[in-house]
This record gives sequence, structure tokens and C-alpha cells, in this order.
Amino acid sequence: MTEKMSLKDLERKMYRVSSQDGILDIQIGIMLLIFVFPIYLSDTLGDFWSSMVFLPLWVFVISGFRAYRKNVIQPRVGKIQYGTYRKKRLKRLNIIILFFNVIALVLGVLVFYKFKELSDWVISAWFSIIILLGFSLAGYMLDFPRLYLYGLLISAAPVIGEYLYQNLGYSHHGFPVTFGFSSAVLVITGLTILIRLLMKYPAQNREELV
Amino acid sequence: MSENTPQENPLAEIDQIIHAPARLRILLMLYVVESLDYVFLKNQTGLSWGNLATHLGKLENAGYVTIIKGYQGKKPQSQIQFTDSGREAFRSYKNTLQQILNDLPD
Repeated sequence: MTEKMSLKDLERKMYRVSSQDGILDIQIGIMLLIFVFPIYLSDTLGDFWSSMVFLPLWVFVISGFRAYRKNVIQPRVGKIQYGTYRKKRLKRLNIIILFFNVIALVLGVLVFYKFKELSDWVISAWFSIIILLGFSLAGYMLDFPRLYLYGLLISAAPVIGEYLYQNLGYSHHGFPVTFGFSSAVLVITGLTILIRLLMKYPAQNREELV
Repeated sequence: MSENTPQENPLAEIDQIIHAPARLRILLMLYVVESLDYVFLKNQTGLSWGNLATHLGKLENAGYVTIIKGYQGKKPQSQIQFTDSGREAFRSYKNTLQQILNDLPD
């Protein structure tokens, strides 16, 4: 059976081969841990510093994976420089991410200073909607269908966490459990993809290279 | 008997450098990106190093691609990209082939 493929499909396939190596999944999974560990320290360090002490860890993890991609994955899979269409799309995504960060920050500040009387359910729902929108847009712009599923999974975390907190007495709005679960799913998925990729593309024999 | 004029044999118009399946596969990939390296091309085309080098040599000699030698750290990493004339030749190949196929009777 022959597979019909347009030039656009071919470009998308090449982009996916070069970029979807599981690293982004692992990085997002690790970043979600900000809702898991720092909150246990917030009683002693306060909300701000409990998150800040983890910042170097995140920087280390993200730059570590970046170096891993450059030195281990790229020599196996190969290097590709995208065309104008893909570059524009990725640039637009950066603007969208910035926009969402600003919206999230503004909402966070408003909730903290202006709407303290809002119910926790409403705040959780806002949080979920922002996560879902952000992941859906990123999934679309990055041509990364898994991000839609991650969006659903992670956006459910605040609401389910709130339920666990209010009905079953879980601590910290249930975040350590729900975000911990989401984080584990993402990290395991990413690792599986990464291991399969490393098996599919063994290290190249440099002597064979032209 | 001559079959080399486009009127007598439309296939004579087709660029034989591009028309070879392996080279066509390479050029299709190059057409949709800015540049690629040998490893990516080898993985995606399934060609051996030797075959890949031969085909790229032919494309480079025809002036359709350019190979920019470079290094990542101490490791060689050459990038392959379409030249302007190569891109133009590929477009013309595409149009010619399309025309020939359109002219075929049902």
C-alpha cells in the first residue's frame, strides 16, 4: 500500500523526527514538580522562597537535557535547520507563551490582592482553563498532538486536587498528589520515547561519515 | 530514429539528475527545509553512506546542492542545502512532470 504524502506532510514528519525525542515531555514533567515539593517548604520559607530554592535545580535540569540533546541525540538522529514556515510558527509560539505567562501572572496577582474572597473552586477552575488553553495552543503551534492530552491531564490536576482537599482531607489542595501523578506520567512517557529513539537510532560510526 | 526532441519524447525534457529515485528523495527533503546534515539524510532515506555520498556528489556537481563543511566541537558536521539554481531546477522538474502526467490520456 502506498502512502500519499504532500510536501507539507513531509516537512511535518521531518520536523517531528528531529524534535520529538521525549525531552520536552521530561522537562515539562520535571517543571510540574514545582507544585509538588516546594509547597512543603512554604510553611518555613514562605511561598516565594520555597519556589525560588528549586530554581537552580530547574535551570540545571533544563540545560542538562539541552546538552544531552545536542551531544547524544543530534549525532544519532541528525541535524536539520527548519524552513521559513516552521521558523515563523515557532516564533509565534514564543509570543503566545509570553502572553500566557503575563495573563497567568496578572490573574495570580489579582487573586492574591483583590479577590481573596473567591472560592478555591473558582481559582482552581481559572488555573485549569489557563493550563488547557496554553497546552492546546502549544500543541497546535508545535505540531505536537501529545500536548493536547497533557493539557487535559494537567488541567484536571487543580480541580481534582481541590476535590481531594475538600472531601478527603488531602493537604495543600491535593496538589502534591495530582501534580505528582501528572509529572510521573509525563516523565515516564518522555523516557519511553527517548529510550525507543536511542534504540532506533544507534550511535553513528564516525569513520563512516563523509 | 531519434526520440530526443520533446515533441517526440516528452520524457526527454525531464531532468535525469533529479529523476533518479534516491536523488529525488534527497531533494524532496531538502526542498522543505533550510538545510540537513548527512546523518539525518542517511536515516531518513535509508541509503548507505557510500550511496548517499555518490548521489550528493552528482547533485553538487550539477550545482543543485551545496555542502557546507563545518564542525560541531571536534566532530565534522556538514550541512547540505539547495542552491538557488537547484531549487529552480526542482520546480521546473515538478512542473514538467506534472504537465506530462496531465497530458496522458485517461
